[in-house]
Amino acid sequence: MKVRLLALPLVSFLFILNGCATLGEGGASRLDLIKRRTELRCGVSGKIPGFSFLQRDGSFAGLDVDICRAFAAAFTGSPDQVQYRSLTAPERFTALRTGEIDLLSRNTTFNLSRDAAGGNGVSFAPVVFHDGQGLLVKRSSGISNLNNLKGKTICVGSGTTTEQNLNDAFQAKGIDYKPIKYQDLNQVIAGYLQGRCSAMTSDRSQLAAARSGFNNPDQHVILPEVLSKEPLAPLAAGGDQRLADAMRWVIYALIAAEELGITQENIGNKLAEAQSRPQLTQLRRFLGVEADLGQKLGLNNDFIVKVIQAVGNYGEIYDRHLGPKSAVPIPRGLNNLYSNGGILTSPPFQ
Amino acid sequence: MANQFKARQQHYRRWQQKPIEAAFSVLILSLILWAVWSTGSWLIAGADWRVVTHNLPLYAFGSYPADQRWRPLVWMAALLLLTITTLSGDHLPQPLKRLQPFLPWAWILMVPAGVVLLAGSANLQAVPSRAWGGLTLTLLLTTASGFLALPMGIGLAIGRTSNLGLVAMLCRIYIDLMRAVPLIAVLFFGQLLLPLFLPVEIEINRVLRAVMAFALFAAAYVAEDVRGGLQSIPRTQAEAAAALGLNASLTMRLVILPQAMRIAVPALTNQAIGLLQNTSLMAILGLIELLGISRSLLANPEYIGRHLEVYVWLAGVYWLLCSGMALLAKRIERQGRLSTSS
Repeated sequence: MKVRLLALPLVSFLFILNGCATLGEGGASRLDLIKRRTELRCGVSGKIPGFSFLQRDGSFAGLDVDICRAFAAAFTGSPDQVQYRSLTAPERFTALRTGEIDLLSRNTTFNLSRDAAGGNGVSFAPVVFHDGQGLLVKRSSGISNLNNLKGKTICVGSGTTTEQNLNDAFQAKGIDYKPIKYQDLNQVIAGYLQGRCSAMTSDRSQLAAARSGFNNPDQHVILPEVLSKEPLAPLAAGGDQRLADAMRWVIYALIAAEELGITQENIGNKLAEAQSRPQLTQLRRFLGVEADLGQKLGLNNDFIVKVIQAVGNYGEIYDRHLGPKSAVPIPRGLNNLYSNGGILTSPPFQ
Repeated sequence: MANQFKARQQHYRRWQQKPIEAAFSVLILSLILWAVWSTGSWLIAGADWRVVTHNLPLYAFGSYPADQRWRPLVWMAALLLLTITTLSGDHLPQPLKRLQPFLPWAWILMVPAGVVLLAGSANLQAVPSRAWGGLTLTLLLTTASGFLALPMGIGLAIGRTSNLGLVAMLCRIYIDLMRAVPLIAVLFFGQLLLPLFLPVEIEINRVLRAVMAFALFAAAYVAEDVRGGLQSIPRTQAEAAAALGLNASLTMRLVILPQAMRIAVPALTNQAIGLLQNTSLMAILGLIELLGISRSLLANPEYIGRHLEVYVWLAGVYWLLCSGMALLAKRIERQGRLSTSS
């Protein structure tokens, strides 16, 4: 009897190991699975203005969502073949690791311990938004720098790098503070507006987005101190080079398209031009008219055409959701092309 | 006249004798008035209800395709109609009364009907479950898992009280295990960890996984409620049935179970209402049911900061649903009592 009682957990443990092994072995890539079911399962936040939120017609929109759509267009041919999964920060990596989702496009900071095999062991695609952590305070509070926050309460989301950065920054300066932790950003905002804390902290983009929705935005100021670098990037489970490569070059294609001046509007003309003029080798390679760049990634050769038709280039995506005319305007800053004073650039498509 | 005067005098005297109580009464009354006044003025003047009024279809159907929204609408209308018919009971007009015996069957049919209507079949365009959402999904999760949990729970309860040692032990282990694990852990396992145990090729529908997780969990509680009912039936009932020549299964079906279920109804109502409210946990795990859709809408730049409105509205909707279920349960209880006495 005792032996049998022991056997049960042992068998189930072997079963788990077996399950892990099937993912890693045999060169099978999730990319094949996505193509086979012609549907991408994309983990998003679903709760960040400008990045992923629900529109009135019931569809998701935002920068993170457009990245999902770009991947879907490249992998399956259609940007609408996406199943969005709203995930909270603490559970996103679990969902990725167990294969419940194919990839994450959810305001996730690219850092060493997440990337490394000894940490979360995921593979990051290139950064799609360079952000930094800041602090938002009420203008009337008179707080103008970190030192003024001594002994004050600060609202922060739990399970995020935000929480850790806050701790690091304040500990380094030897300032005491009281964190109040919430599950997600909207609760942090609500806590701040209800006066539970003197300041709230999050990435500056999110602070700007949140502030634009306040009743009187000019009564709140973002402190000048930037607590951290927050490069936000999409990611997939580690150990799947084909999927990681495909994701990497889809993002680079968005950036390269902006460099080349290819837009959602003129992609048809550019393609016709590439097809009719053999001397435009760079453009022909990029749009898949010659060479097999797509095939090397396990995609169709025209995947970039599909991506640009679906969402436009990086600049168009940015302007749609975060540009000056959008509901959540954030200056492009670092997220501009390097030729325009930012740091975005794409390796060559060769 | 004199009497009235006397009464009033006594009244005054009481106030004078107990000044503290009087002060408390005044304080509490003014507090209530203040609360009603401030809430009322916020509801009417302070709140911006556009976040609700703009998005009513979203709350109802989620991202179900707009041209197919009549399908969840038909299903929910049928549910509502069935609820009203069941509730009105004796007040129904004569021709409709003859339909009453079929009501339980109609209720049982609602779940498969809902699934077929939402998912689509031969003549209906297929709609993937990722598009299901809002109130439709909340109701589907509740009804489907409820209707699965009930027979499972009854089976477990009978199993646990059975004379077969192994069956009783297995049932007891299952019930104790499920009751010792928090619901969120069961849901988390079903939604996020289950794919780890299955081969990559096999993917089970998420809504189905959620329904199964809820049903497996609720079954344990239902089993205990039913067992309470079973134990309250005097042994003499079974003996009387045996004396009439009924075998064990007939005794259970015709004598013990009907009485036990009648006793278990109030506790089962609790479970049903709890189940409805627990479906909101799925919002954390990424199903866009009533609460999930609200959280995503709150991130829409148009509606940032409208938390209070949304949550007050949600509270109202859940209150309506739960009250409806409570009324239904009361009706079933009353019917049970009627059939016992007749």
